[in-house]
Amino acid sequence: MIIKTNSTSNINLALERLKQRLDGQLLSYLYSCVRCGLCGESCHYYLATRDPRCLPANQVAQIARIYRRYFTWVGRLLPGWVGAHDLDEPAIAEMVDVVFGGCTLCGRCTVHCSVGLDIPLLVRTARSLLVELKKISPGLQSSVDAAMRTGNNMAIPREDLVDTLLWLAQDLQMEVADEAATIPLDKEGAAMLYTINPREAKFFPLSISAIAKIFYAAELDWTISTRTYDVTNYAYFSGDDEAARKLVQRLYDETLALGAQTLVMAECGHGFRAMRWEGPNWLKRPYPFEVKSIIEILADLVRDGRIALDPSVNSEPVTLHDPCNLVRCGGIIEEHRFVIRQAVSQFIEMTPNRANNYCCGGGGGQLAMGEYRLRRIEAGRIKAEQIRATNAKIVVTPCHNCIDQIMELNQQYQLGVKVKTFAEIVADALVLKATKHHRPIDRQQ
Amino acid sequence: MSWYHWTLLSAFFVFLICSGWQLFQIIRRRTRDYSPPRGKRVNALIYAFTTAMLPLNKESASHHLPSYVAGIIFHLGTFVGFFWLIIHFFSIPVMKETRSASIMLLIVASIFGLILFVKRLFNVNLRAISQPDDYFSNLLVTAFQIVSAAALCYPWLIRWLFLCAALVFLYMPISKLQHALYFFSTRIFLSQFFGKRGVWQFRR
Repeated sequence: MIIKTNSTSNINLALERLKQRLDGQLLSYLYSCVRCGLCGESCHYYLATRDPRCLPANQVAQIARIYRRYFTWVGRLLPGWVGAHDLDEPAIAEMVDVVFGGCTLCGRCTVHCSVGLDIPLLVRTARSLLVELKKISPGLQSSVDAAMRTGNNMAIPREDLVDTLLWLAQDLQMEVADEAATIPLDKEGAAMLYTINPREAKFFPLSISAIAKIFYAAELDWTISTRTYDVTNYAYFSGDDEAARKLVQRLYDETLALGAQTLVMAECGHGFRAMRWEGPNWLKRPYPFEVKSIIEILADLVRDGRIALDPSVNSEPVTLHDPCNLVRCGGIIEEHRFVIRQAVSQFIEMTPNRANNYCCGGGGGQLAMGEYRLRRIEAGRIKAEQIRATNAKIVVTPCHNCIDQIMELNQQYQLGVKVKTFAEIVADALVLKATKHHRPIDRQQ
Repeated sequence: MSWYHWTLLSAFFVFLICSGWQLFQIIRRRTRDYSPPRGKRVNALIYAFTTAMLPLNKESASHHLPSYVAGIIFHLGTFVGFFWLIIHFFSIPVMKETRSASIMLLIVASIFGLILFVKRLFNVNLRAISQPDDYFSNLLVTAFQIVSAAALCYPWLIRWLFLCAALVFLYMPISKLQHALYFFSTRIFLSQFFGKRGVWQFRR
C-alpha cells in the first residue's frame, strides 16, 4: 500500500501501535458504532458548539477509519464505501484537532451511547498513534517530559518542595497549637503514603495544610515522599502508555520502598484513575498495597468518628462538581457527598450529577494545551450554566484540573462563586480536640 | 430442497464462519484486568442489558424519543423477518393470526426503516458522519423486511425472501451490519468497565 506522506517510518510505528492495542475490547468497539448520531447531546463540546465535528461518533471515526483502511480487506479494497482512510497528513491534522482539541476523555458519551462504546478508549488509542507520529500538543508533551525528567510535572526542585512542606508543618503547629504536629517526610513504615499535586506545592499550599490538619486531628500514621510524590499522570492524557507506565512504576516503587500499606491519591481525578484502575494493567501485575483516593480516606475518618465536623462553619450554600475520572470512571460516587453533608450547612446538588455529571472542560489534558483554550472555555459553558442554576456560593471539587477550569469559568461567565478543594472545606469544618500527644506551643517563644 | 434453499443455507454458512472467526478474535484477544474490583460485574451486566437501555437512563433515547422508538421497531421488524425466515425454511405451520400481526409489524418496521434512511440523508450531522455503507445497510435490511411481509401475503415470493436474506447474511460480516454481533460483546465489555469500578449497579 502506498502511504501518501513523508514520514513513512512514523506512520508505520503508529500502525504498529494500533496493532498492539487491538485487544478484544477495542476490536468490539471499532465494529460497533452505528453512526446514529444520538451521542451528540451527551457531549459538552457538541452542546456548546453544535458542530458535527464535535460529535462523539466523529471521535470514533478518527480511529475506526484508520483501522478499516489498514486492517480490514473491505477497507483496503473499497475504502470509500466503508469510510476507510489513509493515515496521511490531512487525516493526521484532523485527528489532532478532533481528539486533542475536542475531547476531554470524560466518558459521558459512553454512558449514553446507544450501543455502549467506550469512546474515551478509542480517543486515547487515536492519541497513542499521535504519540508515535510526534503530534502531541507541545504544552501537554512538556508536562509529560517534566514529570519524566524531574519526577513532577511542574519541575519543582526537591529542596523547594522540602522547604515548602517544612514551612507548612510550622504553620500547622501554630494553627493547632501543638509542637508535635508535623508533616512527616520520607518516613519508612508509615501506614499511608500521601501523594500531592505539584500545583498544590507551587500555587495552593493551603490544600496540603488542610490535609495535614485533618490527618493530625485523626492521628493518622502517614508520610509524604519528597522523591516521588506527583499524583498526576499526564501521559494518561497524551496517550503515551510507556511514559504512563513509568510514572506509575515510580509511585509503585516508592510505596514499596517506604513500606506503606496504602497509597493515598490526592485530589486528582485522572491521577486516581491512572494509578488505581489503569496502572496495574500497564505494569501487568496487581499491587501488593491498596490505592485509595483521599476522598475515601476522609469518608472513612468521618464514618469511624476519627474526625468531627461542624457544618455551621460553612454556612454558605455549597455545590459539588463530580470530576469525571474520579466519579464516572473511578467509582467514587457517594463518599464525597457523605462527607460534604457533614461539613456544610447547605448542600445543593447540580443537575445532572454523579455518573451523569457534565465535564467541566478541564480534563483530557486541556489545561495544558493552550492552543485549544477558547474551545475549552466555550465547552465549559455547559458546566457554568449548571453551577449558576444551583445558586450556590461555593463550588467544591476534589480535582485540581477541575478547580483551575472552574476558576476560569467563574471569571469568564461571571458566576460569582468561590472555588474550593475538598480538603479545604473539610478542614474549615474540622473540630480539633486535645490529643494524648498534645504538647502546646508556648506562643511567647 | 430447492436451489434457493441451498443459496440461503450457503450464505448462512459463510455468515457463521465469518462471525465465528470474529467472535473468536474477540475472545482470543481478551486481556486480563489486574486492578482490584470495587463493584460487582454481574450486577452491571444485568443492568447493561436491562434498565441501562431505557430512556430513563440513556439520553440518546430520552432526548430522541421518536428516533429511539423508530429504531426499536425497525430492529423488532428485523427479528420478526428472521423468525419467518426459519418458519419458511423448515415449513413450520403457524397460526393465521400470527401471520397477520407479523405483516402489520413488518410494514410498520419497514416504514420506520425508510424514515431513518431519509433522516440520515437530510440531517446535516448524520450526513457528516455517514458512509455509503450506512445507507446501503439500512436499505438492505428495509428491503428484507418488505420482502418478508410480501412473502407472507404471496408465498411465491418466498424464494425472493431467501435471496434477500442470503444477501443480508453475506453482507453482514463486512459491513455496519456487524453491530448485530458486536453489540452484545460491546455491552458486556461496557458492563465490565462500569461494574468493576462500582459505577453501574443493577437496582430493582
